[in-house]
Amino acid sequence: MRLLLVEDEQVLRESLSTALKDAGFVVDAVGDGEEGLYYGKEYPIDVAIVDLGLPAMSGMELISALRKAERNFPILILTARDRWQDKVNGLESGADDYVVKPFHTEEVLARINALLRRQGGWADSVLRAGPISLDTRAQQVSVEDSNVDLTSYEYKVLEHLMMSAGKVVSKTELTESLYEQDFERDSNVIEVFVGRLRRKLDPANTIKPIETLRGRGYRFTLE
Amino acid sequence: MMSSLSARLLLAVSLVLAVFFGATVLVLDSVFRNAAERAVEARLDVQIFLLLAEAEPNAQATLDLPEDLPEPRFSTAGSGLYGQINSADGEPIWRSQSTVGTGLPMQPGGGLGVHEFNRTQLSDGRPVFLHTLNVEWEFEDGSAAGYQFGVAESLEPFVDQMRRYRRQLFGWFAGLAVALVLTLGVLLRWVLSPLRQIEREISEVESGMHPQLSENYPSELQGLTKNTNKLIRAERTRLQRYRNTLGNLAHSLKTPLAVIRSSIEGADRDSAEIDAQLNRMDEIIGYQLNRAATSGGVTLGSKPVDVTEVVGSIVRSLDKVYADKAPVTEQRISPQSLYFGDRGDLTEIMGNLLDNAFKYCQQRLRVSAQAIDVDAARRPGVHLIVEDDGAGIAQADAQLVFDRGVRIDERADGQGIGLAVVREIVELCGGTLEISDSDLGGASITVKFPSN
Repeated sequence: MRLLLVEDEQVLRESLSTALKDAGFVVDAVGDGEEGLYYGKEYPIDVAIVDLGLPAMSGMELISALRKAERNFPILILTARDRWQDKVNGLESGADDYVVKPFHTEEVLARINALLRRQGGWADSVLRAGPISLDTRAQQVSVEDSNVDLTSYEYKVLEHLMMSAGKVVSKTELTESLYEQDFERDSNVIEVFVGRLRRKLDPANTIKPIETLRGRGYRFTLE
Repeated sequence: MMSSLSARLLLAVSLVLAVFFGATVLVLDSVFRNAAERAVEARLDVQIFLLLAEAEPNAQATLDLPEDLPEPRFSTAGSGLYGQINSADGEPIWRSQSTVGTGLPMQPGGGLGVHEFNRTQLSDGRPVFLHTLNVEWEFEDGSAAGYQFGVAESLEPFVDQMRRYRRQLFGWFAGLAVALVLTLGVLLRWVLSPLRQIEREISEVESGMHPQLSENYPSELQGLTKNTNKLIRAERTRLQRYRNTLGNLAHSLKTPLAVIRSSIEGADRDSAEIDAQLNRMDEIIGYQLNRAATSGGVTLGSKPVDVTEVVGSIVRSLDKVYADKAPVTEQRISPQSLYFGDRGDLTEIMGNLLDNAFKYCQQRLRVSAQAIDVDAARRPGVHLIVEDDGAGIAQADAQLVFDRGVRIDERADGQGIGLAVVREIVELCGGTLEISDSDLGGASITVKFPSN
């Protein structure tokens, strides 16, 4: 999952960014609203964390601008202001949840995961589709109640496909949600990951969880 | 000191009018009386010359007057016109028929041709004007004798005339004075109406029904109204600036706290104590800044806040935040529910109460608002109720909310601390907070803002 982090305080940005990367996100961390708007518009962002107290372009303006540009990924706001008017303004301008500074990193992670899960139409932190269940907190996958051992990249691909269940996900989008830089854009890598996933989840080739759409991408089809 | 400008002006004008009209009445009265007396004198003069013309010398070297005088009133008893001729030694030699039983009190003396005119009384006491003239008569035989001709006229017609005149004079002037005072009263109302309008508008601005004074005032008042408006705007932006400053202060204090927390999270050492202290600092900053940002009632010129709108946006926001729990919120807000005060304060109060309700409810909550004392003459109040179907608030915790001895930022965490903060804000804004049980099963928090 590709995450946009807009936070002007450098120490905080770096530590949060590290924590998010450790949790498996591809993180675009920027320090001001205008840069945030550029990333939000130009990259396939899945979720964003926006600090409301940004220099130049405020967090609120950034969120409104993103929503106006029809970027509908979930946004979590970080705010140091605990006046309700500020929180309500932020949420009404298009954000989906807020965390008040100083926050615990686990809380930010939990909120981000909840937002992503809800965005994908999942009600619980454990995504269940047919015999497959994916626990977003423990980052564990099981089929018919037995654990499946996935590498971190395989997990990320499956999580992304399940979060976008029913929708076509292009190889480019998958690549960009796995890697920060563009240079590794080798679609064969994705094909390899998907192939391995299919074998690990469905060794007998009976449930067929991932559909291939030639030239367009993949779709998670189980319900 | 009199409180009303109109009353002062009317009193002053009435006093000036009384003095001015009084003097005018006195002058006019005296002028008219003199003129009337002169007219009587002139008339009596004519009658004397008439008697002179009618007098005929006789053989006894004295004067005779015919029975039929051209002025019939001399011949009619009680006509009010009397004639008498005295000889030089003061003896009457002729009296007109009208004098029956009385005589004219003519004083002998004075030179030839001397007119005398005065008020006096006949010998029977009736008041008259008496006019006398001394003449010397030359007879045909060459002898001459002095006579005094006297004509008197009753004072009654003159007194009547004066009375009528005075009645008219006083009548007109009194009428005029009343008309003037009334006109002035009306004029004053008109002239002072902008002042009354200012007074009304200021109270409307105070109660929040108008954002500022209107601009269409007479030029003399525009300085006042424009400066008042400037003051109102300055007050409003001052609060906004003050809140921004507090917000920035919160940001600059809490971001370092967030940095500290993020850097201890990675460390292996036991950081629980540091974390607890961070929580404490965070709570103190939040509590004190929030308290400072509470405007505490009405800001001059701020519009009344639509409760429906504020509650609506808070519920929409909380629906996002609690999307996983997805409780059902029932909104029972009467349409004319207005909060006369600051929007930020109302948002703070309702935000805290609704957040608690979302947090502690099972599945249902209810928010109600009812306008109180809706009536054109006063500022209506509003009752706000937030209920949920959660576990409710224990008696002891509810007691803590109203405990003034304990400083809020030193308390333990829980539903109590949030409510105690709300209670403080509510009270700063002139309202009261009550805790009871809801028929939904959980807590019911009522905030009452009285009418004013």
